[in-house]
Amino acid sequence: MTPYLSYRMKQPKILFLVIIALLPLILVSCLSGGTQSAGGWPGTTVHDGIIYAGSTDGRVVAINSSTKNLEWSYSIAPVTAPSSGLSCGQTSVTTAIYSKPVVDRDIVYIGTYSGQVLALNMLARSQNLTFPQQRYGEWEWDCPIENAKSNAIVANLAMSEDALYVASSNGRVYSLVKGSGDENWKREDIPVLTENAERPEKLWTSPVIHGNTLYVSTYDGHIYALSLETGELLDWSFESEAGFTSSPVIDEDTIFLGSFDRYLYAVKIGSDVPMWKFPEEKPAGNWFWASPIVNEGIVYAGCLDGKVYAIEAQTGGKLWEFDAGNAIVSPPVLMDNLLIVTDESGTVYVFDLSAELEDEAAPLKVISIEVDVRSSFCAQEGLVYIRGEDNWIYVVDIDSGTVSWKVPLTIEE
Amino acid sequence: MIEVWHLIIGNPVLNVLIALSHLLSGEFGLAIIGLTIVVRLISWPLTKRQLNSSKALQDMQPKIQELQKKYGKNQQKLQQETMKLYKEAGVNPLGCLWPMLIQLPIWIALYQAIMRALATTPENLLDLANRLYSWDIVNQAIPLNSHFLWLDLGQPDPYFILAIIVGGTMWVQQKMTQAPSVDPRQQSTSRMMLMMMPLMFGFLTLMFPSGLALYWAVSNIIGIITQYFFTGGWGYLKFRSPSQST
Repeated sequence: MTPYLSYRMKQPKILFLVIIALLPLILVSCLSGGTQSAGGWPGTTVHDGIIYAGSTDGRVVAINSSTKNLEWSYSIAPVTAPSSGLSCGQTSVTTAIYSKPVVDRDIVYIGTYSGQVLALNMLARSQNLTFPQQRYGEWEWDCPIENAKSNAIVANLAMSEDALYVASSNGRVYSLVKGSGDENWKREDIPVLTENAERPEKLWTSPVIHGNTLYVSTYDGHIYALSLETGELLDWSFESEAGFTSSPVIDEDTIFLGSFDRYLYAVKIGSDVPMWKFPEEKPAGNWFWASPIVNEGIVYAGCLDGKVYAIEAQTGGKLWEFDAGNAIVSPPVLMDNLLIVTDESGTVYVFDLSAELEDEAAPLKVISIEVDVRSSFCAQEGLVYIRGEDNWIYVVDIDSGTVSWKVPLTIEE
Repeated sequence: MIEVWHLIIGNPVLNVLIALSHLLSGEFGLAIIGLTIVVRLISWPLTKRQLNSSKALQDMQPKIQELQKKYGKNQQKLQQETMKLYKEAGVNPLGCLWPMLIQLPIWIALYQAIMRALATTPENLLDLANRLYSWDIVNQAIPLNSHFLWLDLGQPDPYFILAIIVGGTMWVQQKMTQAPSVDPRQQSTSRMMLMMMPLMFGFLTLMFPSGLALYWAVSNIIGIITQYFFTGGWGYLKFRSPSQST
């Protein structure tokens, strides 16, 4: 037999083995490239000298900013989730946190990706009391939001005098009694992405309270107004061609928010047409993912194209722009007359808003914490509290322009 | 290397898929079907070559059966003569496998595109921002509706319907194109492959997002239709193998 014929005879088996061996391997190898699991980017809040933050190992942590010690931490129970790809069965997954803790008196409230709203009593926590003491107790509760397949909470909670407002991935908005977690009302007919109420989708932008109304922006390009008291959909709603990426920010009677079409919109409450959209001509280089901030008639907006824009709130005209070079994911914050912006690479830019307009665009200080930042952060009394993607809290001193101190969120009690 | 992959294949597939979704009334499922048609059109020269090869094999069957009768008792001689016949006609009995192998990068890109486009986690949505072109048509389509017919395109089909369709259509397509072999060893390999591949893809359909399985199913159906019209019939689906005929 000639070598050629011998080769041709062996070829089918070789091919068969190559296909059988390679196909699953290639398909498995592409698993990691396609998706990222929900790891969370919890925000940071400071209240009465205590820093509150979620951690990527599924805990809510309280750190004393004076002693730099852990006051308490609460571990959220892991959730079981179906395995993806070629693996079968279910796996235990750490609960991710995306929302920012909100504090009211002695209680810290936070929403979780496992679909729970937690109310944690600071005093009881620091005394290591069992949680929850009672479901309808006076001081601690957890509230699973229904048993919907997809009920993750990504948005920040909105808080009024006596209620919490929760937007969920199941497309519903809830009002919960602050003391007990009981449901005041729920709104389940907000058409998010699909008209089919049985299959609603993500409501990841945070609801915002303005007067007696709760405003909700959606990924299908609507702004809805709900009665704070009853949850009823009010007469006015706004519709845009593209979906809204960022949570609404309200200044007087105007809503400012970013869109998937790479514009920032200003919408007068009650109007069917946008007051303006920015930029005027061609769209920005990417989405306005982070909520903007408004100060004295100027809107400051960070964009995923790496730029910070200062825009006149009335006209939408650009006052200045600054190119940070890296995507701006976290919403900017104000501290006195300072605008603080952090880009994704962990560089903190401080702008002096009391300076002349032409000088405002040049950052007063540039401080690097040398770790990626995606979470919302807060600033107080000259210090900026930032959770880095390495799961540490960085406390940046604006005066000295340095990282004053840092603390890991993975420390044990 | 990964960035080159995304630049050349991953991101173009993702953006075309999203743009198609916008053009097709926001129906992501229709976009996948549309992309499948585009991929089949692009790979048409290769498919045509494979179909020609398949048709030539089919036309050669009387000659192969003659050889079978002539050298039935001398397997070595039979194989030599059969291979000689194949070589003279310039056909490869396993030529139908190459289009499948060449489609592998498209499957991977499509899998990644489906998962990225549907953005099931906030991280995925943020990642998507960096992969989209600045085309209006793309940005206005985001976010996508993941529901199509009974399917959530980011999740496996819970009702096994798609697995049966993918496995069944793959079996029919392979059966139509796979020439019966005279070599008993080759015959058993071919038989095994004829069963293994549909079973494996049926199994993969249960594990992977139904959007990818939808691509497989539509691609197979298009393959069956083109094969039917190009070769003028059901090909080897109605043929009996030489061993069965003896």
